[in-house]
Amino acid sequence: MLDSTLSDIEARAVSAIDAAADAAALEEARVEFLGRKGALAQIGREMGKLPPEERARIGRLLNAVKQNLEERFEKKKAWFEEQALAARLDAEWLDVTLPAPGLRPGSLHPLTQIQKELEDVFTSLGFAVVDGPEVETEWHNFDALNIPPTHPARDAQDTFWLENGLLLRTHTSPVQVRAMERFGAPLRIIAPGRVFRNEEVDASHEHTFYQLEGMMIDRDVSIGHMLYFMKTLLEAVFRRDVTVRLRPGFFPFVEPGFELDIQCLLCGGEGCPVCKQSGWVELLPCGLVHPNVLRAGGIDPEQWNGFAFGLGLTRLVMMRYGIDDIRLLQSGDLRFLQQF
Amino acid sequence: MKFSYNWLRELVPGLELAPRELARQITMKTAECEGVEPYAPWMQAVVAARVESVEPIEGSHNVKAVVDAGPEYGRRTVVCGAPNCRPGLLTAFVPPGVTVAGGKHVRTVLIQGVESQGMLASGAELGLNRDSAGILELAGVEPGAPIPGCPVDHVIEVDNKSLTHRPDLWGHLGMAREVAAFTSLRLADPVREELIPNGPPAWRVDIRDFDLCPRYSALVFENVTVGPSPLWLQARLEAIGLNPISNIVDVTNYIMAELAEPMHAFDADLLHGETIIVRRAEEGEELEALNGETYRLSPSNLVIADARGAVALAGVIGGAGSAIRESTRRIVLESANFEAACIRRTSAALKIRTDASMRFEKAQDPANTVRALARAVELFQLVSPGIRLVGGLVDSWRRPPEPKPIELEMEWLSRRLGRPIAKDEVRRILESLSFGVEEPRPQVFLVSVPSWRATRDISIKEDLLEEVGRMVGYGTVPPEAPLLPARRPWVNEERLFHHAVRQMAAAQGFTEVSNYSFISEEMAQRFGMAPEEHLRVANPISVEQSLLRRSLLPGIHKNILDNSRFFPSFRLFEIGNEIHKRPGRELPLEVPHLMAAVYARDGGAEAFFELKRLAECLMPGCETRPCAPRSYEHPARTGEIVWRGRTLGRLFELHPRFIEQGRASILDVDLAAMFALGPLPKKYTPLRRFPVSEFDLSIVAGLRVHCAELAARIRGAAGPMCERVQYLYSYRGRPLPEDRQSLTYRITLGAPDHTLSSEEVASVRSAIIAALEAAGYGIRQ
Repeated sequence: MLDSTLSDIEARAVSAIDAAADAAALEEARVEFLGRKGALAQIGREMGKLPPEERARIGRLLNAVKQNLEERFEKKKAWFEEQALAARLDAEWLDVTLPAPGLRPGSLHPLTQIQKELEDVFTSLGFAVVDGPEVETEWHNFDALNIPPTHPARDAQDTFWLENGLLLRTHTSPVQVRAMERFGAPLRIIAPGRVFRNEEVDASHEHTFYQLEGMMIDRDVSIGHMLYFMKTLLEAVFRRDVTVRLRPGFFPFVEPGFELDIQCLLCGGEGCPVCKQSGWVELLPCGLVHPNVLRAGGIDPEQWNGFAFGLGLTRLVMMRYGIDDIRLLQSGDLRFLQQF
Repeated sequence: MKFSYNWLRELVPGLELAPRELARQITMKTAECEGVEPYAPWMQAVVAARVESVEPIEGSHNVKAVVDAGPEYGRRTVVCGAPNCRPGLLTAFVPPGVTVAGGKHVRTVLIQGVESQGMLASGAELGLNRDSAGILELAGVEPGAPIPGCPVDHVIEVDNKSLTHRPDLWGHLGMAREVAAFTSLRLADPVREELIPNGPPAWRVDIRDFDLCPRYSALVFENVTVGPSPLWLQARLEAIGLNPISNIVDVTNYIMAELAEPMHAFDADLLHGETIIVRRAEEGEELEALNGETYRLSPSNLVIADARGAVALAGVIGGAGSAIRESTRRIVLESANFEAACIRRTSAALKIRTDASMRFEKAQDPANTVRALARAVELFQLVSPGIRLVGGLVDSWRRPPEPKPIELEMEWLSRRLGRPIAKDEVRRILESLSFGVEEPRPQVFLVSVPSWRATRDISIKEDLLEEVGRMVGYGTVPPEAPLLPARRPWVNEERLFHHAVRQMAAAQGFTEVSNYSFISEEMAQRFGMAPEEHLRVANPISVEQSLLRRSLLPGIHKNILDNSRFFPSFRLFEIGNEIHKRPGRELPLEVPHLMAAVYARDGGAEAFFELKRLAECLMPGCETRPCAPRSYEHPARTGEIVWRGRTLGRLFELHPRFIEQGRASILDVDLAAMFALGPLPKKYTPLRRFPVSEFDLSIVAGLRVHCAELAARIRGAAGPMCERVQYLYSYRGRPLPEDRQSLTYRITLGAPDHTLSSEEVASVRSAIIAALEAAGYGIRQ
């Protein structure tokens, strides 16, 4: 008797679970058949009246039915949950192509960026980064660098003089002297900074620009050593092979003095306005430090010698980014500066 | 300095290098060549022609000439406007298709009904001289032959800066010596010293100051004819940019360009007495110079004088009164040596730069004066036939000390060069440059310096290192890393600090600008700064740039105005030095500052608080305290930045008078003072073990109460249990009266050793409320 009731319940329950259209209908079916007061619980209660062997048999049957129904129920329930989640997620559709709100980082000036890079390169080579004043004494800017007052080399550096006899440094070279005074020998320094020349401004001339001075003083420093540092420097800056040449150049504070030229990166040596059609750009005046300069810095030239160089940072920046107008660098024009 | 390629080839016989290649090698071995230009390339095609017949053209000053232009061009009809076009004249013919000086292109054209099949040319049209009065008049040349002495040339221009230390390279012979050295060719010295006459001098020279004039040599000539130079001489001067004037003057300029010895010819009949006096000028002494200007001199200027007064500014410019003129019959030819610094001072003070002063200020060789005179004797005979010497050489000098030979160890040379170099090669190089080389000890040279390199250029062994290095070529030196002890370099903390500030500003959206250190008086005044408090530039480029900035504000203000034309809003900053004048000749104080600005075309107060956030990112916990505004600051939106007890800067909105549209706020921080404080020390506090309690309070206050002041009161009243007082928001409107607002704060309490009881929290709350009420504030329930 109970057997047929049980199989009847099972059949009804299966069709109720199958028919449930949503989670609520499913739950209703669960209560009806599997609930504490549901159809199967009713069988369980009626079972008590059966003789023991029959009770055991029906009990096993009941459990099998219950297990079957629970499995079906859980499966369907999980399916509904999955549907619900999928629907929610779908409703949460986002236009991922919308622009992100909020601030972006600003840019550092290209001159700052190149200075920092070179500071890092030279620091890794054991150089200290030294600053010097922008307003200088005539002695530090000229005399100590072996340029006495009547030396024609002073013509090459159109100087801004100040009312009190001081001047705006025309190069970063006075920092050589200040560094020798401060640190003595041996010495390895670079000094990036702003320099001034009394020149009319146009696309390739500025009265305010940036240089990086470098100096190494030790025992028996050679031209070969200097070349090593210059080459390392340029490879770091341009991150590519560069063609360079060293030729004689006259600077009173070095002897011998050189001009290090780099093959123009804008035109590849073909000739363009930046290299004045020559294919080469003067980049690095350098040389072995003149004994008079060592003496002015309080260093004995019989014991020590060294090299020095002056890198035109402004020109370097222009070459690296292909900037065709030097005035942009001091213009404060964000249309330009935000490109870096 | 311009060098004629043809001239160099005359001085270095056998030189085969093409002009560009020669220029490249000069650049690599000696001095920087800036360019190579062909000189008068049309002379390739120009030939001599004889005018056979001339017919007038009606209604025109032009004539129709028939010329014989030699075998190649034959007989040609040419329309010519020159007054000297006459039958029988030998002149220059330019065939059609050739472009001559000034880009003038010669074609076969119909002029006034006559077909002109070419052009007869003047010296100016051919770029050989400045004479455009008539066509060239030639002699001793066949029709069809090239114009004698005027071949195509190339001009190599060398950067004067790279000749600063080389007095000898201000003449072609010096450069030719270099070329001969690096091409292993022989130098042909054009000077024949045997032409100097013997016998007693006809004139005397009286040098009053041998320091300023180490040597004065002269020759006297008579039976002089003054006229134009031969064409070859004019053309050669023209090629290197010198203006042909007259045969006598042109020879002096030619020798200057050849031997680097500036010379001057006086009309002897216009001098008083027969003694040349070299002395310092008297105070206020005047001289009318060749350029037509009259100069007032002082004893710092050296003059050449006769018995009456100054006749030339020594080494700089001649006087007008004794200049060579057509009537000149007798000349005194000066070839002297002057001290470089004196010439330079005079030239700079009087603002006269001449070819002579440029050379003398490089320290010329006193041994060169007589050589130049010998050359003049030869050339004068060529250009002024019949000229005669009067008496012997006039020469007064104080010989400079013999230059000391320089000891040069081969081992030292190799070490400095960074490569081994053979003794024989060193000897060969030095000797090719006219150095004397002895070897008193093995591997040690004793090098004597030629007089033209000894004036200033070469005195120490480092100078010889350069001679050897440049001649072997620096390209032969291998780059090599030195072996050095691994010492840690000194660390520039302040510079790293500036970089960190920059990074922070950029991370907050600010873009870095760089402004000039110069400002105008007007800009200074506009921002309430007195011009006299600024360091002033004595020689500014313009009045706009006559003062050194004491604040970054004028530059930043300009950046704001400029960029507001392109952007509705932006953020920018600069790190740069303020320059503060100190008394006397003391170096000014250079104080690095950060100045940041936010601009918004339709902004409210957000810009101000963005900058305040930047300040707090840089200086955690800094305060912005209301303060008295400056003229350019918004009077109700200005504060001082205070950090760790120091006032480090200002934060303000720009006064609307300083900006037409939109609003801009500015943060100014003294980075030197900020750096001096050092980084904020970091200290660990054990993590809290007991939970905190928090509650909110809304305080009713006047509309201009300061948020920070209320927070301080709350903190004060809350006592030691107060963890944090956080401002949440403010409210205005009903039910509050119009002159009141409520400010809501969240107060967090806690204790390190227990969880606070509700009674403890309530008592702190009451204490806060009581304190606020006592101070006149209400509490909104």
